[in-house]
Amino acid sequence: MLLAALLLLPFATATLLLVARPEAQARMLAMASTLVTAVVVLLLWAGYPGTAVTVVDRDWAPAIGLRLVLGYDGIALLMLVLTGLIFPFIIGAGFKQQLDRPATVNALLLYAQSFLFGVFAAQNAFLFYIFYELALVPVFFLLLFWGGEHRRTITVRFFLYTLLGGLSLLFGLAWCVLQTPAPYSADFTALHALRLGTDVQLWLFWALFLAFAIKLPIFPFHSWQPETYTMAPLQGTMVLGGVMLKMGLYGILRFVMPIVPEGVLFWRDLVIWLSIGGALYAGAIAFRQREFKRLVAWSSLSHVGLLCAGLFAWNSYGVSGALYQALAHAVLLVGLLYIVGAVTARTGTGDLGAMGGLKLRTPRLAALFMLVLVNAVALPLTQSFVGEWLMFNGLWQHNGWMAFAAACTIVLGAIYMLWAYQRVMLGPDSGRPAVADADRDDHLYLVPLIAISLVLGVYPGPVLDLLEAPVQQMLNTLTALN
Amino acid sequence: MSALILTSVLGVLLLYLGVFGNKRLLAPVAVLGLLGAIGVSATGWWMDVPLFAHMVRFDGAATAFNMGMTGLTILLFLFGVDYYARMERDVAEHYALMVFSLTGAFLLTSYTNLLVLFLGIEVLSIPLYILAGGRKNSYRSGEASFKYFLLGSFATALFLMGIALVYGVTASFDLGRIQEVAEAQGAAPSPLFLLGLFFIAIGLSFKVAAVPFHFWSPDVYEGAPTLVTAFMATVVKMAAFAGFFRLVHLTGLPPALANTLLAMTVLTLFVGNIVALRQTNFKRLMAYSSVAHTGFLLLVVLGNTAASTSTLFYYTFTYGLATVGLFVVMTLVKRAANGSEEVRSFRGLYQARPWLAITALLLLLSLAGIPLTAGFVAKYQVFLLALQAGFLKTTILAVAMALVGIAYYIVVVREAFTADEQPLEVQVTPLNGLVVLLCGIAVVALGVWPLQLP
Repeated sequence: MLLAALLLLPFATATLLLVARPEAQARMLAMASTLVTAVVVLLLWAGYPGTAVTVVDRDWAPAIGLRLVLGYDGIALLMLVLTGLIFPFIIGAGFKQQLDRPATVNALLLYAQSFLFGVFAAQNAFLFYIFYELALVPVFFLLLFWGGEHRRTITVRFFLYTLLGGLSLLFGLAWCVLQTPAPYSADFTALHALRLGTDVQLWLFWALFLAFAIKLPIFPFHSWQPETYTMAPLQGTMVLGGVMLKMGLYGILRFVMPIVPEGVLFWRDLVIWLSIGGALYAGAIAFRQREFKRLVAWSSLSHVGLLCAGLFAWNSYGVSGALYQALAHAVLLVGLLYIVGAVTARTGTGDLGAMGGLKLRTPRLAALFMLVLVNAVALPLTQSFVGEWLMFNGLWQHNGWMAFAAACTIVLGAIYMLWAYQRVMLGPDSGRPAVADADRDDHLYLVPLIAISLVLGVYPGPVLDLLEAPVQQMLNTLTALN
Repeated sequence: MSALILTSVLGVLLLYLGVFGNKRLLAPVAVLGLLGAIGVSATGWWMDVPLFAHMVRFDGAATAFNMGMTGLTILLFLFGVDYYARMERDVAEHYALMVFSLTGAFLLTSYTNLLVLFLGIEVLSIPLYILAGGRKNSYRSGEASFKYFLLGSFATALFLMGIALVYGVTASFDLGRIQEVAEAQGAAPSPLFLLGLFFIAIGLSFKVAAVPFHFWSPDVYEGAPTLVTAFMATVVKMAAFAGFFRLVHLTGLPPALANTLLAMTVLTLFVGNIVALRQTNFKRLMAYSSVAHTGFLLLVVLGNTAASTSTLFYYTFTYGLATVGLFVVMTLVKRAANGSEEVRSFRGLYQARPWLAITALLLLLSLAGIPLTAGFVAKYQVFLLALQAGFLKTTILAVAMALVGIAYYIVVVREAFTADEQPLEVQVTPLNGLVVLLCGIAVVALGVWPLQLP
C-alpha cells in the first residue's frame, strides 16, 4: 500500500502539473508531494520487518515474461529511502535557481522520481528494465529544454550512450529469460536461480555490466558524463548524479552479481583496476578544472569509480561500504551542486579563476560550504568517512595494492576540493559589488543536508543494519561458488 | 470470405459515387463499408475452412491481419477527408483504388495456393502504381509511379518465373502439396525447386522492400502523395509480410534458402538503419526506417516459431498505427512550413501545438522501441524469437541496429521539442486530431497491454 503510494503519488502530481499548469504554485505542489513521499519512505523503513517483502505479485503480460512484482529488501529499501529523501532537496533547489515554465520542470522531475521508485521496487527484471528506460525520458526533456550550451547535441549523445547500455542489458535479459524453465519468467527469483555455464557467464557478464558501467559511469564508459553534468540545469544534474547513478549500482547488485557470479570472479580485478584507475584519472582532471560545476562533475566521477571498486571487492565490507557511500554521495553531491549554484549566482561566473575572496562578504555561505566540504573529503565523523573506510577495508581484504590506490584517490579528492574552496572563498576580495550572504532559505536547504551527513557519520548503525542481511545472503552465493 | 466480397463491391460502389459527383459521401460510405468489413471478418473468425476449391483459407491469423489492415485503412480514410478536400479534381478513384488494393491484401493473408498469392500481389500492386502517380501535375509523383511500376513489374516477372519452376517440380500450386514434396526431397532439394522458391522470395522481398530490393522505396515514398505513402508503409507492408510468412510457414524453407534470406536480413538491418541516419527529408527517413523495420520483421519470418504469427501481427499493426499517425502529423507540419518535408520543419511544433507534439513523441518513441509503447514490446518479442530460433549473432546486430534506430527518431523528437524563432502555424482539423490521438492512445495501450493472438 505504502509502496504503491510511492509510485503513484509523484506520477499523479506530475500529471496534474502537466495538465493544469499552475505555474505559480507548481514548486509548492511538487515540494508537498516530495515531502509526503519522504514521510512515506520513512514509514516504510520503520515498518521494515528485516526480510524481503513482496507487496504486489500479479501477471501483466505473461507472453513476454513481464509480471507486476513489487517489493523490497534491505538494499532496495536503502535506495528507496535515498530517492525519497533526496528529491525534496532537488525540488527545493528550484526555489532559488528558478527555471522558466516551473510546472513543466517539476512535472518532469516528479515523473523521474516515480520511475526511479519503480526501478528500486521492481522484483521482475523486465519491470525493472521498463522503469529504468522510462526514467531517462523526463531527464531527456529536462536537458533539452533547460540545458546550457550545446544542449541539443549533448542531450542526444547522452540519451544514445545510455540506451546503448540499456539495449545491451535488454539483450542479456532476453538471453537469460530464455534459459529459465518454460514458461519463461523474468522474475528476479527465477533469474537468480539460474546456474549458467562458466563460458557463458564470461561474455554475459559484459552484456549485463555494460549498461550499469555506462550509467555509473566508470572508466572508460564515462565520456558522456562531464559534459552532460556541466551542461544540465542544476536540478537535472542533481537527478542524474544524486539518484540515477545509483540505478547503476543497484543494477550491478541485482543483475550482474547474482546471475553471473563466475563472470564477476573472472573479471573483477579488471573492473576494479578500471574503476580505481578511472577514479585517479578523474581526480587528476578535476584538479585541473577551472569551471566550478565541471570540477564537481569530475569529482563525482572520481567518487563513483571508488564506489564501483568497493562493490567489486565483493566482501561484506566492500559491498556495504559502497551502498553506504551511495547514500553519502547523493547527500554530498546535492549539497555541493547547491553551493555551486549559490556561488555562481552571486559572482555571476562559474570560473574558479575569476572568483576569490567571497568569504569576506559571505561568511555564512563560506561556513556552509566548508561543512559540505568536510563530507566531500571524507573527514572522520562524516558520512563519507564511514563509507570510504568500509570500502577501503573491503579492498584491503581483496588486494593491498588496490587499497593503496583507493587511498590515493581519497587524498587526491581532499586536495582538489580544498583547493576549490580556497579559490572560491579565500584570497583577496575581488572587489565585486555587494553580494548577499546566505539567507534563511539557503540555511533551510543546506543545514538538513549537513545534519544528515553528520548524524549518519556518527551513528551509521541503522543503515548498516538494513544492509547486513541481504549483503550476507548475496555473499553466500560466492562462498557456495568457491 | 464475406469481407472479400464486401470490399470488392464497396470499391465498385465508390467508383459509381464518383460518377455521380457525390464527393461528400465518399469518405462516410468508404468508412462505413470498411467498418462492415471488420464486422464481417470478426463474425467469420470461427469459419476456418478451405474455400474456393482449396484456394484460400481464412484462419485466425488471416482474419486478424485482415481486421488490422482494414482498421488502418479506416484511419487513413478519416485522414483523407481533409487531405482530399484540398484536391479539386475527382477523388473517388483514389478511395476505390485503395479499397481494391485492400481486397488484394485480403488474398495475400489467406492464400493456400500460389496462384492466389500471385493474384493477391497483383490486385494489391496495380492500384498502387496508379495511386503513386495520384498528383497528376507533379513531376515527382509521376516519377514515383513509373519507377514503382517498372521495378514492380520486373519483380512480378521473376515471381511468376518462380511459380512456374516450383510447379515444374511439384506439379501443383497448392502449398500443402508443395510442402509434401519439399519434405520428400529432404536435405537435398532439387535445384529447380530451390531456384523457384528463391525467385518467389525475391518477388516478396521486393514488396517488403528488403535490401537489395529496396531501391524503389525512398523515391516512391517521397514522390507519392502522403496518404498513399502512408498506405504503402502500413497496409501494404502488413499484407506483404503476412503473405511472406504464410509461404514460409506453410511450405517450410530449405536450409540453403533460409541462409540466403538470413544474409538478406542482416543487410536490410544494416543498410536500412545506417542510411536512415543520413536522411534529412522526413518521407525518405520514413522510407529507410521502413526498410529497417523490414529487417526486424524478416527475422520474425525466418524464426518461424509458435509465437511468430502473433509477433508479426503485433509488430506490423503497431508499426502501422505509429506510421499513420506520424504521416498525419507530417502533413500538418508540411502545410505550416510552406510545403517543406524536411525534418527541420518540425521545429517549434511543441510551442505551437503541445498536444500534437506529445502525441507525435509517443508515436516516435514507439517506432524507436522505448518501453511502455507498443514498439518496445514488438522489438523485444523479435529479439526473444530470434534468440529462440538460434540467430545469436544476427540478434546482436539487430540490438545494435535498434540503437541506431533510436538515434534517427530521437532527432525528430529533438526538432519537434526545440523552440523556433518563427512560430509554426499548425492548423489541426478535428478529424485529423482524432486520427493522431487514436494512434497515440492505441500505441501506448497496446504497449501496456500487449495483444496476443490466440
